[in-house]
Amino acid sequence: MQREVISNYLTDIWRLRYFWMSLVRVDLRAKYRRSILGIGWSLMHPIFMTFVFCAVFATLFKLDVRTYAPFLLVGLAFWNFVSGIAHQGCQCFINGEAYIRQQSAPMAIYPLRTTLACGFHFLIALVVAILLSFIFGGVHNALALVYLVPALVMLFLFGWCLALLCGVLNVMFQDTQHVIEILLQVLFYLTPIMYPIDMLAQRRIGWVAALNPLAALVETLRRPILEGLPPSLSAVAMVCGLVTVMLLVTAFTLSRLERRLVFYL
Amino acid sequence: MAHLRLDHVGLDFCVRTHGRISLKEYILKGMFRTRGSTSTTVRALDDINLDFSEGDRVGIIGHNGAGKSTLLKVLAGIYLPSQGRRSVQGKIASLFDITLGFEPEASGWENIAFRSYFQGETPKTMRSKLHAIADFSELGDFLNMPVRYYSAGMCVRLAFSIATAIETEILIVDEVLSAGDLAFQHKARKRIEELLARARVVVLVSHDLASVAALCERVIWMDHGHIRQDGPPKQVIPAYQAMATAGERLAA
Repeated sequence: MQREVISNYLTDIWRLRYFWMSLVRVDLRAKYRRSILGIGWSLMHPIFMTFVFCAVFATLFKLDVRTYAPFLLVGLAFWNFVSGIAHQGCQCFINGEAYIRQQSAPMAIYPLRTTLACGFHFLIALVVAILLSFIFGGVHNALALVYLVPALVMLFLFGWCLALLCGVLNVMFQDTQHVIEILLQVLFYLTPIMYPIDMLAQRRIGWVAALNPLAALVETLRRPILEGLPPSLSAVAMVCGLVTVMLLVTAFTLSRLERRLVFYL
Repeated sequence: MAHLRLDHVGLDFCVRTHGRISLKEYILKGMFRTRGSTSTTVRALDDINLDFSEGDRVGIIGHNGAGKSTLLKVLAGIYLPSQGRRSVQGKIASLFDITLGFEPEASGWENIAFRSYFQGETPKTMRSKLHAIADFSELGDFLNMPVRYYSAGMCVRLAFSIATAIETEILIVDEVLSAGDLAFQHKARKRIEELLARARVVVLVSHDLASVAALCERVIWMDHGHIRQDGPPKQVIPAYQAMATAGERLAA
């Protein structure tokens, strides 16, 4: 019974694929309308951020730029994806209000739009990071990039659920977007984006990263790219756990609110 | 067989008197168990029983706030009934607030495309329709511009052209009988009539009683969330008019 409900829901989403895919295209184009570099800005942004952070932190922490730059680039690409989804996800149902009020369609397509638009920029940044890592560090094991495929699937599911939950919360309580802004600030420093995990371990606060599922997520991206190795089992287990929990919470939220959200808009 | 049915349907709206509820309010309310003064419940529909089947052309009339549009939204499946059951057989499509829901940064062409996709088209079925829609809107080269620069009238033209190109079995329409300027209205009228002729079941809301009488074989008069009368236009429309003028006389 429940399986049927879920598969019907997914079929409905798939049936409207041309709709949400063309909205994603519009979003991407609108972002760079009238800019000279166009989509090049999604390349430039992480690169320049890496420059700045490298200039500051490589000297401050005395890190080797050639390993630190690709490390940072992957981390920043990941973080821009997560924070972009949390921010824009808050608005996903509000932006889609006109559609929601016109026709009944699966609610999950609106956060999906957000996720795919953010995911596009993320993929560009990730490709830059991979190239940079290969240029600076040499190719360790290009086959290890295969490990990225399941990691990206997990990240996509995580992002979709996150956008949906942020969107629902923001419709119910407008304060959500402000709370999320603060939470993201805190999480940015708690997650090993700018600094390597062992830096925490040296200070005996390694548990901060060990308990942080975002740290595990970013590790599943970093290990294959930077070291040519599969991600550690503990990270994989943590990511699987995180995504499972997110999916369950999302499914529960949708089962309660899918058809009632329109009353709160 | 197209079929649409409501059994004892009721709908309660929870209306917030001060916009959205804030997290602070929610927590405070939970902590102190104060009476919710920020929201009131409105009974929008009460015990509605309706049955529409193949060939029905139904008009819904009533004063403002009688629950006409709410009823349409329940029929279209946008609002979930608080009580009762809704059952549908057949592909259902609705035209509400058609001028809303444009992506302002996208061009007219792009808007045609994804609005049609939203209504269930695919690129294959779109190809033949795209130019028909563009021609009908008479917007010509304006279609290459972002919709942001369109005048209100141009938006209506575009929206109407897209919305009425839909293929469906059950059609639910809210006040789109008057679209655009005078010349366009004439065209629009013909187009609506064609659309109504194609659909198997049509439910429409309008304040234009003459159109309702001309287009529908059955009229439902809504009053304060109830069905006041349900019957042929010859019978229901005069009763409604008598009621409306009586109200005027009473007020005067």
